[in-house]
This record gives sequence, structure tokens and C-alpha cells, in this order.
Amino acid sequence: MFRPNFAAILPPSLVAVTLCVLLTRSAHGVAARADAPAFDLQAMIAQAAPGDVIAVPPGTYAAPLLIDKSVTLEGNGAAILQGDGSGNVVHITAPGVTLRGFALRGTGLSLDREDAAVRVSAADVTVEDNQIDDALFGIYYENAPRGVIRGNTVVGMDLLESRRGDGLKLFYSADTLVEGNTLQETRDAIVWYSPGTIVRGNVMEHGRYGLHFMSTDNHIIENNVLRGNSVGIYLMYGSNYTVRNNLLADNRGPSGYGLGLKETNRATIEGNRFVNDRVGVYSDSSPLRPDAVVTFRNNLFAFNEIALVLLPNVRHNVYTENVFLENGEQLSIAGGGELAQNEWALDGRGNYWSDYHGFDGDGDAIGDMPYVSQSLYEDMAARHPELRLFQLSPAADAIDLAAKAFPIFAPRPLLEDPHPLTRPPALPPVSGMAPPPVALNLVVALLLLAAATVVLTLGLRSFMPRDTPSTLRTSIN
Amino acid sequence: MDLHTVWTIARKELRDALHNRWFLLYTLAFIGLSLGLSYLAMSGSGIAGFAGFGRTAASLINLVLLIVPLMALTVGAQSLAGEQERKTMAYLLAQPITRLEVYVGKYLGLTMSLFASLVLGFGISGLVLAIDGSGASDPWSYLILVGLAFALCLVMLSVGFLVSALTRRAGVAVGIGLFLWLAFVFLGDLGMMGTAVAMRMPINGLFWLSLANPLQVFKMAAILNINATLDVLGPAGIFAMQEYGSKLPLIFIGVLVIWAVLPGVAAFVRFDTSNDF
Repeated sequence: MFRPNFAAILPPSLVAVTLCVLLTRSAHGVAARADAPAFDLQAMIAQAAPGDVIAVPPGTYAAPLLIDKSVTLEGNGAAILQGDGSGNVVHITAPGVTLRGFALRGTGLSLDREDAAVRVSAADVTVEDNQIDDALFGIYYENAPRGVIRGNTVVGMDLLESRRGDGLKLFYSADTLVEGNTLQETRDAIVWYSPGTIVRGNVMEHGRYGLHFMSTDNHIIENNVLRGNSVGIYLMYGSNYTVRNNLLADNRGPSGYGLGLKETNRATIEGNRFVNDRVGVYSDSSPLRPDAVVTFRNNLFAFNEIALVLLPNVRHNVYTENVFLENGEQLSIAGGGELAQNEWALDGRGNYWSDYHGFDGDGDAIGDMPYVSQSLYEDMAARHPELRLFQLSPAADAIDLAAKAFPIFAPRPLLEDPHPLTRPPALPPVSGMAPPPVALNLVVALLLLAAATVVLTLGLRSFMPRDTPSTLRTSIN
Repeated sequence: MDLHTVWTIARKELRDALHNRWFLLYTLAFIGLSLGLSYLAMSGSGIAGFAGFGRTAASLINLVLLIVPLMALTVGAQSLAGEQERKTMAYLLAQPITRLEVYVGKYLGLTMSLFASLVLGFGISGLVLAIDGSGASDPWSYLILVGLAFALCLVMLSVGFLVSALTRRAGVAVGIGLFLWLAFVFLGDLGMMGTAVAMRMPINGLFWLSLANPLQVFKMAAILNINATLDVLGPAGIFAMQEYGSKLPLIFIGVLVIWAVLPGVAAFVRFDTSNDF
């Protein structure tokens, strides 16, 4: 069943050479011999002693593969584990296993069975530097605490979002380290009942939820890039989160949130960049308890359609030293209503608002008038979402203008920042944003100007051709 | 139809337009305001460290919605009625040329003049944005935005021509043009907003109704071009994306073409058959 067929794809001489260095047994020092009948990976695991390092030669190996012994498998980036499309590709059931440097493909298609490229059901397992393609589920840790998932790339199947599986799923797997992975075109990366897990330096693109935390506490989420998902990060029903220095960009669609919070207690959201999302932060009932404050500090909210969408039940949030820059709307209260008991400044430091029109008389970089967010049109759109159809049209601006001219129409302010900053605070360094193509943009602009010049010359130059009928000439000149 | 004659009239019309103070004023306003928007975009990218072209484009769309209809409607409204009032139309029509040639020539000439002022405004602000490094991440989408603005220009020019063909005096025509501008830009949308709220209109009905206003059509097409989605427009936009998806650009362009052709043809029929000219 696990017959390798790498011989078929390699020239015979190479096969001979590779087979000589096939196997290093740390404990026994036994190497596979060139005259071995075939390199049977499953058999090798069966023969290995716990703690052995098995260097797997380049080639394609038929999977499913069961790793039920505490060994290290080294694929060195050239060994392919090809599943038969019936279930998991690799199933790790022994603690302390390391799976490193493989290419995995050919998972099954069953969402019920949750067919995964790598399924782990033991503690202390490291899955590292693997390339996983066309996977229903990518890496799935179930009851597998203290794992390390590092440097893997998972590319999902070309299916509707709802038909895909999770690129990464942690289920009852506490204290796992998820670092430097790339997930593309999968459903979610979900962390479920896995407290203490650290998620750092990953890239999650074009999925449904870039990162999804469910009923799990004590997490550090930092330096990740979450781009082009429906939701960048969604925190649900958990406590004690530190979310810092992540880039949450281009998360759009009907939900389209950079960060979503639902019943999240004690979270520090710091130094993140929310850019070009439909909604930067969406928050519902977070925190649940008055003492479990959610703090937003030094984040950048730029070029989003709406920077913050808060439900009226959001209280005990603190916003300080954030930059709200050129968002379509700074704040919307979902369904209308009023916000209460949130702090828009801490220790006399508010936030920078690009639409602040106050002044700073004493030069302390803090505006002397409070920043007030108040827009009749936005107020109407919050209560009647279908009116967003008129977003960006002059009629919407006219409504706001009318509210300014006739204060009787003015809605209650959504928020009041008592100490708005007049200079944007320093932000964490920017990375992960691609600059626009300057040369091409220049070419386009010059093309437009050239077209204008041509038409203008046509109009300004004397143009009477010789064969124009003389009568018409007179009529024109 | 003699193309040569058409071309001659078109160039004469273009020349007149470039000497028309209203036209120059609109052009300067358009250039100035789009430059102002570019400046805002640049200061934004200075703080963020990168550009957010989506928001810049949104402001440009807003600007186009205000100025382009005004420009095209007034220029179109002046066209036939103005010459009629100055009695030059009678003289022109006394020449051995057909009314179709006159009409197409005038339409083409004004189209060229409006095109020039559009690409001048978009070109200058595009240049500023490009040099600053806060331009479009996809230059093609900027070109399409210009194209859509030009399409809106043609729609409004056709409507302006129709107004011009139906009135005898240029002053009246321009007055009606300004009222239409108000209707297209403000009154129509405000009325629709009120209707939507008061009658609890279903979002599919609201979406289809909004297609009746060419300005809304331009706006939706432009947003779709820049963002690749209409989620900005709330439930109605999301409904349109899910229901019509890849057909949306065709729907939008179809509506704009109908809006440009029908009033234009109607204006010609009136111009061709009316004894006023």
C-alpha cells in the first residue's frame, strides 16, 4: 500500500546515490541499503525506534501515512506525500513527532470527516516547513497540546468558501505555537478551546476568517498579515487577548471586518493597521464584564469604508492614540442607538481624527475642542442600511450639510473625543503593503495629458482646410 | 452625411467651446478640485506611509458626480438654442449641408471639448498622485474610471442637447439644464431615499429604481471598477453583487449607453423636424 514510486521519476544512477544516504538512525546507526526492495515509508516508521530521524529521499510517496511512533521525518523539501483522496494524508498519533520539509497533497473531500493533509492527535508534535496544496483541511491538531506549527504553506481547494475546509484547525490543543505559516484560499484558521496558543508572523489570505478564536483564552496574536479575507481576525467568547502589530487589509464582502469581537473580555488591540477593509473593527458585547476592558491603542484605521462598527451594547472600551485616517465613516452604531461608557481618551490623550476641524491654541498637540462625530446621513444609514446605496453621492453630502445648517436636524453625536490629537502619533513600521506601480501610473497620467493636448491643439489651431465650401467658410469665420 | 463637413463643424464647435467662459470655468474648477483631492490623498499617505487609492477614487467619483453633469448639461443646453438665438443657426442651415451633419458635427465638437477638460483634470491629478506614489495600485482601473466619467459626460450632453432642441432661447435651455442637474444630483436621490424609508422598499426594487438615475449607474460602475465589489453600498450593493455578479458591468454600461443614445436621437429628431430651426 505504501509503495514508493520515486524510482519512476528519477534516473537510476540518482536513485542509487540517494538510497545510500536514505536513513540515519540516531540510536542504531542503521542506514537503508541501496539494495533495499523499495523505500517503504510506513515500514520504515514501523522499524524505527522512538527518537529516530528518518531522512526521506526525494520522490513521491503514496499516502495515507500513519506516524504512530515518536520519530522525526525529514523531507528536505523534495519528498512528496500523495494522498489517495480518501481521507487524511498524514495522521500523527504519537507524541513528540516532527514532520518537516514535505509536500503534501491529495486530501479527501469530506467536510464531515474533516479530511486533512496533516492530522495530529498527540502532544508536542512539530509540523514545520511543509508545502500543502489543494487541501480540504490543511493542518488539524485535535487534542494535541504544546505543538509547533511553523513555516508551512497551505493552499486550499478551489471551492466555494463554505465548501472549503480550514487551513489550520486547533481543537483542544493548548499552548500551541503557530508561527510563520502562509494560508491561502482556505476557509478559516480556527483556534478552538486551545488556550495559551501564540499566533505570530503568519500570512492568511483570501479565506473566510483569516484567524478565528472560539471559546479560548490567553492568546498573543502578533505580526500577522491578514489580507483579502471576509474577516481578518474574529475573537469570539474568550478572554485575555493581545492583538498587536498585525496588518489587516482588504477584508471585504458582506461581513468584511478587519477584526471582529464577540463577547471578548480583556483584550489589548495595539499597533495594528486596519487598511482598506469594509469595516475596520466590528464589536458586539465586548467586553461582557465591566472590569474586563477592551483597549485600542496606537492602531491605524485608514481608508476603510467604516473604521468602527459597534453595537450599542459595547461598553468599557478605551480608545487612545489611534489614528483614524480618511475612512468613509469613522464610527457607525449598528442598528442606530447610542453608545455609552466608552472612553475615547486615556490620561488626556485621545485619538487622531483626519476630519477634526478644531484648533490647538496652546501648542501641546492636543486639540482644544473635543472631536465630535456626527452625521445625519450616517445616522440614517445606521438605522436604514439600505440607504447605503446612496453612499458617495452628493445627495448624501447634502443631507449632512442640511444638518449643519439647521441644527434641528442634527443627530446626537456618536462619540466625543475630549482630547483629540492634532498630530498623528508615531505608528509601528509599515510592512506588507505593496506600493502602487509608479512608472505605470505616470504613463497613464501622461497618456491622458497627451490626449488633452491633442484635442486642445485641434481646437486652438487655425483649421480651415482648403476644400471647405467657400459659403461654409464665411459662415464660420 | 459628409464626414468632412461634420469634421469641419466639429472643429468649429470645439474652438467655440474653448473660448466659452463657462466651459473654461468648469474646466478650471474640475482641475482645481481634483488637484485638491490629490493633495488630501498625499497628506493621508504621508501619515499612513502608503496610499489608499480607494478613498481618493471615492472622492474623485463624488467630484465627477457634481461637476461633470453640470458641465455637460449647460454646454449641451446652449448648443442648438444658443445658435438659434444668435440667428447663426439659420445661416448655417442655409448652407448646402444636411441637418444631420450639423447635429453630428456639433455633438462631436462638444464631446471633444468635454473630453479634453476631463482628461486634463484626471491627467493632472493622476500625474500628481503618481509622482507622490499614492496612485492607483492598478493603473488600468484609473483609465476605466476616466472612461466611465466620459460615458457620463456623453449621457449628460445628450440630455443637454434634448433640452436645447426643445427650447428656443439659450437662457431658458440653460435654466432647464440647471434644474435637471439639481434633479439628477440631489432631488432624485433624496426622493428615492425618502421613498425607500417611507415605503420600506425591498432592496432589489431600490437597486433597480436607482438604475433610472444615470449618475447612480456611473457611481456604481465606478465603485465596482475600483473596489471589485459593491459592499460599500450596503445591503443593496451586496444583493446586486450576489444576484448579478459578473453581469453588473454589462448592466451598468448598457444603461449608460441607452441614456446617451435615446435623448441624443430624440434631440436630433426634434432638431430635424422642428420649424423652430
